[in-house]
Amino acid sequence: MALLQIAEPGQSPLPHQVKRAVGIDLGTTNSLVASVRGGRAAVLADEEGAVMLPSVVNFSEPERPVVGAPALRLASQHPADTLVSVKRFMGRGREDALEEARRSHYCLSEDAQGLVRFTTASGDVSPVEASAEILRSLRARAESTLAGDIDGAVITVPAYFDEAQRQATKDAATLAGINVLRLLNEPTAAAVAYGLDSADQGVIAVYDLGGGTFDISILRLRAGVFEVLATGGDTALGGDDFDNVIVDWLQRSSGKDSIEPGQHRALKALARRTKEALSSESSVAVDLSSIWPDAPGVTLSRDQFEALIQPLVKRTLRACRRCLRDAELDQVDNVVMVGGSTRVPLVREVVSEFFAREPLLNIDPDQVVAIGAAIQADILVGNRPQSDVLLLDVIPLSLGLETMGGLVEKIIPRNTTIPVARAQEFTTYKDGQTALAVHIVQGERELVTDCRSLARFELRGIPPMTAGAAKILVTFQVDADGLLSVTAKEQATGVEASVSVKPSFGLSDSDITAMLQSSFQHAQGDKQARHLAEQRLAGWQLIEGLRAALAKDGAALLDAEERQLLEDATAALAALLEGTDAQEIKAQTESLGRLSEAFAARRMDKSIHEALAGVAVDTLAEKVGE
Amino acid sequence: MTSSPDLTQDYFSLFGLPVSFAIDRDELGARYRRLQGELHPDRYANASSYEQRLAVQHSALVNQAYQTLRKPLGRALYLMELGGVSQNDMSRHQIDGGFLIMQMELREKLEAIPELMEPDEAIEHLLDEINQDLRAEQRAFEQAYNGNDTEHAISACVKMQYLDKLLSEAERLEAKLIDG
Ligand SMILES: Nc1ncnc2c1ncn2[C@@H]1O[C@H](COP(=O)(O)OP(=O)(O)OP(=O)(O)O)[C@@H](O)[C@H]1O
Ligand SMILES: [Mg+2]
Repeated sequence: MALLQIAEPGQSPLPHQVKRAVGIDLGTTNSLVASVRGGRAAVLADEEGAVMLPSVVNFSEPERPVVGAPALRLASQHPADTLVSVKRFMGRGREDALEEARRSHYCLSEDAQGLVRFTTASGDVSPVEASAEILRSLRARAESTLAGDIDGAVITVPAYFDEAQRQATKDAATLAGINVLRLLNEPTAAAVAYGLDSADQGVIAVYDLGGGTFDISILRLRAGVFEVLATGGDTALGGDDFDNVIVDWLQRSSGKDSIEPGQHRALKALARRTKEALSSESSVAVDLSSIWPDAPGVTLSRDQFEALIQPLVKRTLRACRRCLRDAELDQVDNVVMVGGSTRVPLVREVVSEFFAREPLLNIDPDQVVAIGAAIQADILVGNRPQSDVLLLDVIPLSLGLETMGGLVEKIIPRNTTIPVARAQEFTTYKDGQTALAVHIVQGERELVTDCRSLARFELRGIPPMTAGAAKILVTFQVDADGLLSVTAKEQATGVEASVSVKPSFGLSDSDITAMLQSSFQHAQGDKQARHLAEQRLAGWQLIEGLRAALAKDGAALLDAEERQLLEDATAALAALLEGTDAQEIKAQTESLGRLSEAFAARRMDKSIHEALAGVAVDTLAEKVGE
Repeated sequence: MTSSPDLTQDYFSLFGLPVSFAIDRDELGARYRRLQGELHPDRYANASSYEQRLAVQHSALVNQAYQTLRKPLGRALYLMELGGVSQNDMSRHQIDGGFLIMQMELREKLEAIPELMEPDEAIEHLLDEINQDLRAEQRAFEQAYNGNDTEHAISACVKMQYLDKLLSEAERLEAKLIDG
């Protein structure tokens, strides 16, 4: 029997000394990828040295999507085939998206679940598929810069994203072949980027106004723990809306009431350039002759612009106020500005006035989210074993159930710290009833019709009983990514009712598999080789974790026989990893995983005791209430 | 080999704190963060899927325990539950008429506020008043609970529930007034 090699603390005997982990900011307008190298987090540039990848995908040629700046150049030629601001359509139903689509001149259709699809020259494309193209491009950039496969990524989402939007983002990453370590809220990522640099203590407000979304979050940083106290915002408010008010103004002041799709795109690009110029100039002359040869030139002053966007900026302050109240605070220590639209002077002014603090700006507001995500990815992938940084995030919107009369009963209120599990008991209302329909919604309103429908499922196989006799316990669990899973069980008889969750939004696993297969078909690379590499990685990860655990706790928590059993199984798996049989590696990895479950449970128990060890109960001050 | 962490102990023991209404909020917070530091799923991002599931369950339980104990009403209700008092016992409890009349008066004040000239000040004032009443009931609860006087403990609990509901309605109105 081969002797087991035990790693010295802080030293790994394994091939993957430092893992390749990246943070990805998948933005409405621009996307970025960053990574920690040599202890420093930095954004990665493409071959031309550009850091920001425009979040634009052109589908003019079937099978050959074009991403980024080249796609942007195709936009006015092929408006319907060039998808911009796709993030605004993620996880949305066709109804929700119509207004967006009208502005962007997309042709929409919908899939079987009522989700949006864009009609392009390459056929129908879903927002998830378009986002996957952007992610694929960033992944390729990272793999060439870091010279190897990516072990995992943290992908950021607006804190205010609902369940369907998060699920869609995760689906896009899966499609792009990315192992998602965590979905991280953008403002939390920004706070991490600042918090870790300055080792600050205190309350931080993160004001993030990007292209398409507005987010406000309030966090407390204490002893390495980032606790999100409250979060709010608006998933449909951002720099795009500033552009739109300028477009409307240009149209009004040139007396045009109808425009062509191509003209609209051009007008919008012009509006955006004008807006960005107004951040440093007090007035800008707009030349409309390329769009309407007969139109007179117009000038937009910063004052006029500020008057136009005033109502939009005010809306963000209302959300800030609500967020402060939810956090039970009336002031903060620091304000962090994130997003390109915080370059607008009016925005900076009103925000610093509102919080009575000069905002922190030393990290580039365009990069701060990706940098924070890279740091968190580095921690999660295990490159910083000594790190005691921890993020405690919240769910942004309440989860509830439909009850009689189309009303919502809240199960998990918004701003509850995740992960969270809540159980709720249901009963039957008719004699002999054997099925029960459950409808899960997300939102703050009282009527089901005003909330977003997340999932419907039916409990079947309830034994027939008199009304009210069956007791069905439904458990809702939201994991650390903010994603929901539901399980149900009939209590009175011990019979487990079968639950089928049919997501109203997001992709089913079989959809993903089908899409993966079709994308593999024209993807390069050998599927089998990839499969073996993946199984090997999973096997190494398990061995690595288990060896470290055995070295630390094996003697204390296992008897000699138990320990021998685990060591033998570990050695067996290590031997298999030398070979090339993916099937066998998979089987042995699974069996070792099962064998180590009890050890894992004991270790967790020990962690709890250690966390509280050394704090004597009688030292507690006797204090009443709060 | 069978063993799994004990998820059945009471919330106070989970934090290593004595079962009592009096609690040091800072200490509770510090212990909460220390526990999450060990149990949070982020600590298990590279672990087996079994360990990840276990971590989600534990971390969720610690969150639930923290939320329950953090606020006086949650703590009081939980102490009653530990003492075997059911929701049913609570809802059968008869509240004295004096308290109900006082509640009605507070509610009328709340409803009249939007029509007032200075609604902002009025709502501040009302919030103070409700908070004062709440603190009085918290003291009453603690006394009854410590003296094993279940009847009075239930009564204080039910009153706290009434006041808490009124408080959230008043806070909602405050929010509306602020948002304009
Ligand atoms: N100098 C500037 N002045 C005003 N606005 C600017 C300036 N530079 C960039 N912007 C605006 O910032 C927006 C893009 O910001 P950013 O790149 O942060 O958004 P995003 O991350 O893609 O979107 P989101 O975070 O909403 O998903 C665009 O609307 C752009 O016009
Ligand atoms: Mg952004």
